[in-house]
Amino acid sequence: MARTKGYPEALEKKLNDQRYYSEDSNPEFTKNVKAISRTIAHMCFQCGTCTGSCPSAPRSSYRIRLFMRRAVLGLENEALTDPDLWLCTTCYSCTDRCPRDIAPTDVIMAMRNLAFKRDIIPVNFLKTVQAIYKTGHGVPNNDVNRAARERLGLTRDPPTTHMYPEYIKGIQTILDHYKLKANADRIVKEREG
Amino acid sequence: MSEAKHKFAFYLGCIAPNRYPGCESASIKAMKKLGIELVPLKGASCCPAPGAFGSIDLNVFYAMAARNLVLAEQMNMDIALLCNGCYKSIWEVNHKLKHNKDLRDGVNEVLKEIGMEYKGTINVYHTAELLYNDKFIGVEKVRASVTNPLTGARIAVHYGCHLTKPHKDREFEKEVMLNTDHPVWMEELVAALGATPVEYRNKMQCCGAGGGVRGYDIVHSLDITNEKLINLKEVGVDALTDICPFCQLQFDRGQIEIKEKFGVSYDLPVLHYAELLGLAQGMSPQELGLDLHAISCEPFLQKVL
Repeated sequence: MARTKGYPEALEKKLNDQRYYSEDSNPEFTKNVKAISRTIAHMCFQCGTCTGSCPSAPRSSYRIRLFMRRAVLGLENEALTDPDLWLCTTCYSCTDRCPRDIAPTDVIMAMRNLAFKRDIIPVNFLKTVQAIYKTGHGVPNNDVNRAARERLGLTRDPPTTHMYPEYIKGIQTILDHYKLKANADRIVKEREG
Repeated sequence: MSEAKHKFAFYLGCIAPNRYPGCESASIKAMKKLGIELVPLKGASCCPAPGAFGSIDLNVFYAMAARNLVLAEQMNMDIALLCNGCYKSIWEVNHKLKHNKDLRDGVNEVLKEIGMEYKGTINVYHTAELLYNDKFIGVEKVRASVTNPLTGARIAVHYGCHLTKPHKDREFEKEVMLNTDHPVWMEELVAALGATPVEYRNKMQCCGAGGGVRGYDIVHSLDITNEKLINLKEVGVDALTDICPFCQLQFDRGQIEIKEKFGVSYDLPVLHYAELLGLAQGMSPQELGLDLHAISCEPFLQKVL
């Protein structure tokens, strides 16, 4: 399958350069990944079972084993600016099979958390946040479905925040506590105008 | 079994109630026949979506899931849910908060702002787990509840990922559910409805939708789905069954998108196990809202009705 996302030129150049430069390494990155993921990436002995189990690997250049190495070596910029970071479907096959009892999937999730702190995040993730802030649901109800629900003997809106919008305030307070809505709005606006 | 064990707070999530409401109505009716009452979980929200929220900020993910858990704690009821994605959020966050004081304290600091406190007093179950576990229902009772056996139908199972994986974190009473390389417990449930379960190549592969990939790179995501559909075509099945409305969306609407983008069509009906169970217990396709599916269920229905 053809690549659908382009790499920045500088990263492309770097990915072609296989050498390891200590000045590229940030030991804090290794520590942060460990703290957020609650798994121990440095136990990895690079066997590649993770990549071999990965449904995204055969159809892209995404290699989870490479991200494991980046975690250990502290290669923060390479890891966080690589568009492949967002191709993990979080199926946890690698985690189930890892012979070192590591959770590579959670390493990816930790890296994504760290990327978001630098505003690196695909817009679709933020739109889910915006939808939930507004309705409480990532996939909200619509009129066709309301009519169908009625026909099935269900309430037109499910007994969730849809039927009881007074509960949405609590959700908004949680999201505002982490400034997530404000950040989502800002980044979406920057990208889409 | 005490009365309380027969009642669960029914956590709906988003895609079941808002896209495939038949999963919701079938679960309520079918479980009632099997002695389990599903009570509405008033004010619940998105679980939240583990791919999106887990990727952005795990702390928000924990707090949002905890709010849903607290609603059930206030009802003093265990949660039953029907979606693997929701299981990942609701079960796993419950598990993490019960076992990690630092996470629990962090979550409670936020919940305090909305007058809530997570206590860790309830458990979370998937309806498929309740159906399979003899402690609640069990395969034999499912079999005994069938009035319209789905005889002659060849049905393949898509297990999805987040109910059973990562298996080292999961705690099922039925050990057999922890086999994530080649489980067969769903096939037992399919056979209990009178249908013929069918194995296929690489059946444990992900549907391709999770982790935000469906929204990030739809072609990549559908390419994973397409691989599964190719493997399903190879063995020839009348329907695919799942226990996750998000996987169902990916296989059902995904087939329309695959036709547009890759030019191949499969016309494979995709039904949640709750919908299959509803059919087998005598509910009509209209009562199950099967007309809402993107791929027509008619060829399959003609075979079993």
